[in-house]
Amino acid sequence: MTRPARYSAYGLARRGLTGAAWPPAWRAHELRPSYDVVIVGGGVHGLATAHYLAAKHGITNVALLERGYLGGGGSGRNTAIIRSNYLTPEGVRFYDRSLTLYESLAADLNFNVMFSQRGHLTLAHSDSALRTMRWRAEVNKLQGVDSELLDPAEIAGLVPHVDVSDQPRYPIVGGLFHPPGGIVRHDAVVWGYARAADANGVHLHQDTEVVGIDVVDGRVRGVRTNRGPIAAPVVVNCTAGWSSLVCELAGVEVPITTYPLQAAVTEPVRPFLDTVVVSGTLHVYVSQTDRGELVFGASVDPYPSYSTRGSLEFTEGVATHVLELMPALAKLRVLRQWAGLCDMTPDFSPIMGRTPVDGFYVDIGWGTYGFKAGPVAGETMAELVATGTTPELIAAFDLARFAEGRLVGERGAAAVGH
Amino acid sequence: MRLPPQPGEAIDRTTAFTFTWDGRSYPAYAGDTIASALAAAGVRVFSRSLKYHRPRGLLTADFHDPGCLVQVGDEPNVRAAHRRVEPGMTVRPQAVWPSLRWDVKSANQLVGKALTAGFYYKTFIKPRPLWPAYERVLRRFSPGGEVPAEPPDGRYDQRYAHPDVLVAGGGPAGLAAALAAAEAGLQVLLVDEQHELGGHLLWGDDGDRAALRDLRGAVAAADGIEVLTDAVVTGRYDGGRVVVLQRSAPGVVERLVKARPRVLVAAPGLIERPYVVAGNDLPGVLLSTAARRLVNRYAVRPGQRAVVLTANNSGDAAVGDLTRAGVDVRRVLDARRGDDVVRVRGRRGVRAVECSDGSTVACDLLVTAVGWTAPTSLLTMAGGRSRYLASAARFVPADLPDDVLAAGGIVGDGSTADLVAHGRAVGHEAARRARGLPPAHVADLEPGPHPELFHGRSNGIVDLAEDVSADDLRAAVAEGYDSIELVKRYTTATMGPTQGKLEAVNTIAVVAAATGRSIEETGTTTGRPPYVPVSLGVLAGRRYQPVRRSPMHTWHVEHGATPLVAGAWIRPDHYGDPAGEVCAVRQGVGIIDVTPLGKLALHGPDVADLLELLYVNRWRKLAVGSVRYGVMCTEDGVVLDDGVTGRLGEDRYLMTTTSSGATTVEHWVERWLQTERPHWQVHLVPMTDAYASINVAGPRSRELVGRLTDIDLAPEAFPYMRVRLGRVAGVADCVVWRIGFTGELSFELHVPAAFGQRVWEALLEVGADLGVRPFGVEAQRILRLEKGHLIVGQDTDGLTQAYGAGLDWAVKLDKDDFVGKPELAWQRARDDYLVLVGLQPVDPAVVPPESCQIIEDGQRIVGRVTSSRMSPTLDRAVCLGLVAARLSEPGTTVTVLLPDGRRVPVLVMPQLAHVDPEGVRLRG
Ligand SMILES: Cc1cc2nc3c(=O)[nH]c(=O)nc-3n(C[C@H](O)[C@H](O)[C@H](O)COP(=O)(O)OP(=O)(O)OC[C@H]3O[C@@H](n4cnc5c(N)ncnc54)[C@H](O)[C@@H]3O)c2cc1C
Repeated sequence: MTRPARYSAYGLARRGLTGAAWPPAWRAHELRPSYDVVIVGGGVHGLATAHYLAAKHGITNVALLERGYLGGGGSGRNTAIIRSNYLTPEGVRFYDRSLTLYESLAADLNFNVMFSQRGHLTLAHSDSALRTMRWRAEVNKLQGVDSELLDPAEIAGLVPHVDVSDQPRYPIVGGLFHPPGGIVRHDAVVWGYARAADANGVHLHQDTEVVGIDVVDGRVRGVRTNRGPIAAPVVVNCTAGWSSLVCELAGVEVPITTYPLQAAVTEPVRPFLDTVVVSGTLHVYVSQTDRGELVFGASVDPYPSYSTRGSLEFTEGVATHVLELMPALAKLRVLRQWAGLCDMTPDFSPIMGRTPVDGFYVDIGWGTYGFKAGPVAGETMAELVATGTTPELIAAFDLARFAEGRLVGERGAAAVGH
Repeated sequence: MRLPPQPGEAIDRTTAFTFTWDGRSYPAYAGDTIASALAAAGVRVFSRSLKYHRPRGLLTADFHDPGCLVQVGDEPNVRAAHRRVEPGMTVRPQAVWPSLRWDVKSANQLVGKALTAGFYYKTFIKPRPLWPAYERVLRRFSPGGEVPAEPPDGRYDQRYAHPDVLVAGGGPAGLAAALAAAEAGLQVLLVDEQHELGGHLLWGDDGDRAALRDLRGAVAAADGIEVLTDAVVTGRYDGGRVVVLQRSAPGVVERLVKARPRVLVAAPGLIERPYVVAGNDLPGVLLSTAARRLVNRYAVRPGQRAVVLTANNSGDAAVGDLTRAGVDVRRVLDARRGDDVVRVRGRRGVRAVECSDGSTVACDLLVTAVGWTAPTSLLTMAGGRSRYLASAARFVPADLPDDVLAAGGIVGDGSTADLVAHGRAVGHEAARRARGLPPAHVADLEPGPHPELFHGRSNGIVDLAEDVSADDLRAAVAEGYDSIELVKRYTTATMGPTQGKLEAVNTIAVVAAATGRSIEETGTTTGRPPYVPVSLGVLAGRRYQPVRRSPMHTWHVEHGATPLVAGAWIRPDHYGDPAGEVCAVRQGVGIIDVTPLGKLALHGPDVADLLELLYVNRWRKLAVGSVRYGVMCTEDGVVLDDGVTGRLGEDRYLMTTTSSGATTVEHWVERWLQTERPHWQVHLVPMTDAYASINVAGPRSRELVGRLTDIDLAPEAFPYMRVRLGRVAGVADCVVWRIGFTGELSFELHVPAAFGQRVWEALLEVGADLGVRPFGVEAQRILRLEKGHLIVGQDTDGLTQAYGAGLDWAVKLDKDDFVGKPELAWQRARDDYLVLVGLQPVDPAVVPPESCQIIEDGQRIVGRVTSSRMSPTLDRAVCLGLVAARLSEPGTTVTVLLPDGRRVPVLVMPQLAHVDPEGVRLRG
C-alpha cells in the first residue's frame, strides 16, 4: 500500500518551483467480481465508513459504489453546519463525538477541511422557542456540551448586524449560543476521506450504480450494478436521499419520506459575520464562508419530491427573512440556488445498523442534518461491520425502534437548524 | 480619452458633472457608465484579482465584466461597466489595501506557483491550534465590497404580469419577434438587459443604426408591447413562471416582475468569449464587442496602439472602429488563417503582444474576437437542452418545450435582415402557440462556421472572476478531479459573480483537452437560477408580513396592555398586573379576549363520524346544545391539539382549537376530508376571524353575563359543558358556552366580529360594580396552570402520546377506529414513557424555570418541568412536568436541576390541578 504524497506548505512550495505534479488523490479501478464489503453511496457517510474500515480495522477489500461523482449527493450540496447542541441525550452524545472527530480531521486525513469553529447561534422569537432552547441548553450542559442562553443585548454584541430592537415583526427575545459549532468545507471532507480510503486500498468506483441487491434466504449475497454484478457478504447502504429506494432493492422497508431542501449563496462581501445564525421561527439560517459568500438555508420544501430544481418561493422567503434579521443586507445579491434530497424519518434521528436482511446494513435517515455526522457515522458503522457488535453510541438509532416505540425525538433541535 | 461626438453615442454631452473614484473627482456625461467615464479619463485599473491581486481593467465593458466590481456608497459589487454614473456618486475600489495602485496582497503573485488549484486543502493543516489564525488571514483575502451597518434607503417592489408572450432580449431578433406577436394582436412584454433596446446594433455601423431606428420606431408605434429596459430575465421556474429583474424602475430601487407568459421567446443574442493565453487578464485586453461599445457608444478611445486577434466579423469591424477612433492598429492577427497570440506582456497593463510568427508588437491594447457563447441557461432552466456544435464552436439550444422558443443569435448566425426575419418567424409562431394552436416548426437560423478557439499555447486565466488558470484546471484533472463537476468544485472555476457566462465553455474545453474527452462528452454543469445575481431587497419586495389582531385590539392598546407576539396574532399579555388579574378572576370576575382561538364551523350529516375519527374520545352521542372537550392525536398517537366542540343543531357543529394550532387543525381536518374520506358530507368553514371571542370567568361571571343576555343562565337551565345561542348586549347570533379553562365558572362568548368591541365594552360597563377586570394571556396561563390544564406543545412535545399527557380518561380504545388508535393501544401496554404530572417544589419560593431538567443519580435525565409559575392563589410555586412513569407516583420526590446548577427537591402531586382539584368552582 502506497502512502499518498503528503500535503504541506513545504510540498506546495517545492512542487510549485519544480513544476512536479501532485499524484492523483484517488484512482480508477476495474470492478472485482467480489469484495468483502460493498458500500453503496459516495457521500461523506460511505467514504468515512470505507476509510475507517480500512484504517482502523484493516478491512481493505472494500468497494465503494457511487452512481455519479464523489460527493454529488447531499454531501456536495449541504450548508456544512457542524454542531452538537441537540435535544436528546442520545443525540447530543452522538453528534458531540462527531464534532470531536472533526476537530482533528484535517490532521488525521492530511487534508485541510477548514473546520471553522466560529460559534452557532439559534435565535428565539417567542417564549416557546426560548423554552425549547433552555431545554437544549440544559440537556447539553449535562452532557458536557458548551451551550448557553443569550439575551438580546448579548446577541447584538456577538452579531452586530442583527436587529434586536422591537421593530421586526417577530422581535428577538433570546438565543442559544453554541461556541464549538461552525462550518466546514464540505467538499474537502469528501475528498479527504476519499483520498485516505484510496490510499488504504479501498476501490472507489464512480459512475457505478447499484440496480439490484441479491438476497438469498434472508442473507445478502451481493449487488448488481450498471457495470456488472459484485458478490459480497456485506452491503452497507449510505445513499441518503435515495436510501429508501436502495433499501427496497433488498426488500427492506424503512419509514422514510424524501423532501427537497434548498440553499443559496450570495456574491462575496468582506467578512462581517463570524457566527452561524439560525432562526427557527423565520425558517432561515445564514453563515459567511471564508470566501465571503453568505450561505442561506431554510427548512425542507413543503411537499415530498425527488426534484432538485430551485424555486422562487425559496429565495423570496429566504430574502424576506434574512432582511427581517439583518435589514442592512438589502443590496447583497443572491448568486446561486440549488436543492438536494433529504430522507426524513418520523423522529428526525437517523437509522443506523442492522436490518432484517443479514449482512445488509443501513446508515440512512440523515435528513437535513447528516453532514455533521459523517465522521462518527463512518467510525461506528465500520466498527459494527468489523466486529459484529453495535457500538453503544448508535444503539438508540436502530431500525427496530420504530416497531418498538423508542423514538429519539430531535425535531425541536433539527427542523431548521440542520 | 474622450473622442469627438460619435453618431451612435449614448452620452448626453449637454449634461456634464463630476463624481469621485478612489477619492478623486472625475468628469462624466449623463449616459456614461461608471467605467466609461473613468476610461475616458484614462483610468485602466478598476480592481485587483481574487487570488493573485493582479490589476484588472475592462474586458467586456458590459454588466458581466469580471474586473469592474466596485463599491458605490453603501452598495457592494456594483457592475461599473453597466451602472450609469450619477452626479456626486462616490465610487471606491473593493478589497484592496492600502490602495488599488499599491495593493500589498499582490505579493501573492510571487508565490503564485504554489497557489495552485486547491492549495488551501494542502496546507495550514498543522499545527492544529494555529488554524483559526490562518483562517483569519485567509478571510482577509476574500473579495467583494462592504455591507453597510445600517439599512439602505429606498423601497423595493414586486409586480405580477400576464403577457401572452414574453420576449427576453431586445436585439434585432427580439424586436422583430415582439412586433410579429403584437401584430397578431397579443400582449407582449419585451425585456432587455441594456439601458436601451437594440442589442448589438447599438454599437454597430450606419446600416445597423438605420435598421435599429426602424425597428424601434415600429415597436414604439405598435399596440400591446410593454418595454422594460435595464431589466433582465433571471429565471424560468416551474409552472412557466418567468422572473424579470427591473434594475431601474421609477420610484423604487429595483422591481421584480413575476410574469406568467403563455410563451417565452428567448432572444438574448450571444456572449463573446475571452481567449485563454498568458497575460489575457491584463488591463488593455478587450473583447471586440467591448472595444466597439467603448468607441461607438461612449466615445472612448480605449488605447493608443492595438493588436487585434480576429476570427469573425465582429473582430473585423472592431479594426475599422479602432482605426476610425485614431487608434494605431499595429497588427491584425487573423485566426481564420492560423494567426495566434502566444502571450501578452505587461505588468500594470498590456505592453506588448507576442505573435505566433515570432514577432513581438509593442502596444497597450489587445482586442480579441475568438468566438461566442450562446447563453442557453434560461432554456435549460425551462427544460430544454444544449448541444455542442463543433463547426460553430459553440453550444446551441436543443429540445425546447413547446412554450419556449429561441430566436436570433442564440440559434444561429446571419445578417441583420436574417436575424429580423428569424425573429419575425419566431414571433409569429409564438403568437400561434399563445393562442393554443399546435406547434409548427420554425426554420432554424443556421450557425455559421467558426474556428474552435478556446485557449492558446501558454497558460492564461480561464475564470477571471475566480483567478483560475488553465494550468489550475489541468492540475485538478491530474489529481483525479476529472469530471466537470469535480473540477468546478476543486478549482471554483465558474462559481464566481460571472456565473460561468464568460468562462464555462473555456473551462469545458480545457478539461476536455486534459482528459482526452470531447467537449460533448465532457458536458456542461447544471445551469441554475438566477441568471444574474438578484438582490435580497428585491426578492423580499415590500416585505409584507401578515399581522392578525382581534376587533378589540385598539381597546387593549388604549388601556395599557403589554403586547405579546403570539404567532401571527398580537395579544394583550397583561394590563400591568398579572397577579392582580388572577385574583380578580378567582374572587370576582374577569374578561379575556380569546379571539385567536381556532374556530371551525362544521355542517353536514357526517360531522359526527368526522369527530369520532379525529378525536380520541367519543362523540356520537353528543346532544344538541352540549359541548365536549376533545383531544386529537396524529397517526403516531402524539397529541396534536385539544379544544371543545359543541353541537349547535342537528347537523351543525362548532369546533374550537388552540390558538396556536388553529391553522394546523384546519389543514388536518381538510386533509382527512379531502384525501381519506372524500365521500363524507361535511362542509368546513374557518370562522376564527368571523367571531370575536371573550371568556368571562370568575364566581360572578353568571351575574355579569346575565345582565346582558336573554339566555337563561341558571345552573339547571345552562349547566356546565352546554352551549346556547342568543343575544348578548343586543347582538344577535352569539354562541355562548359554559366551559372553563381557568378553573372558574365561566362563559365563553363568540360574537360576530364587528360587534366584538361593543360587547367587550358593555361587559366592562355593566360589570363595574362587580369589579370586572380585563385579564391577559399571562394571567390566563397562571390560572390554567393552577387548575392543571395542559397546553399542547408546551406540556407535551413532539413525542408525547395521549397516555403520556395524562389523558387516559379521554382515550376510548373501544371505539371502532380513530386516528392514532393502534399506537395508543400499544402505548397503554407499556410503561416506558414520560407522564405529565403536577409538581410542587418543596421550597415554595423556588420557581424552577420552564425546561429545567429532572435528574437522577447526578446527571441522568428523567424528565423536565414544562410549566411553572408563582401561584398568586396558593402563594407558592406550582408546576407541571413530564417524568418517567416509574417516578410519577404521587408523593415521590424528584430532583430538579436549576440553570445555575442548584438541585432542588420537588414533590409529585396526586393530580395535575393545584387549585380546586374537585372542580367545584367550575361547576358552580
Ligand atoms: C441544501 C442542504 C443543506 C444541508 N445542510 C446541512 C448542514 O448544514 N449540516 C448537516 O449536517 N447536514 C446538512 N444537510 C444534510 C446532509 O447534506 C446529508 O445528510 C449528508 O450529506 C448525507 O450524506 P451521505 O453520505 O449519507 O449521502 P449523500 O452525500 O447524499 O451521498 C449519497 C450518494 O449515494 C449515491 N447513490 C444513490 N443511489 C445510488 C445507487 N443506486 N447506486 C450507487 N450510488 C447511489 C448518490 O449519487 C449520492 O452521491 C443538508 C442537505 C441539503 C440538501
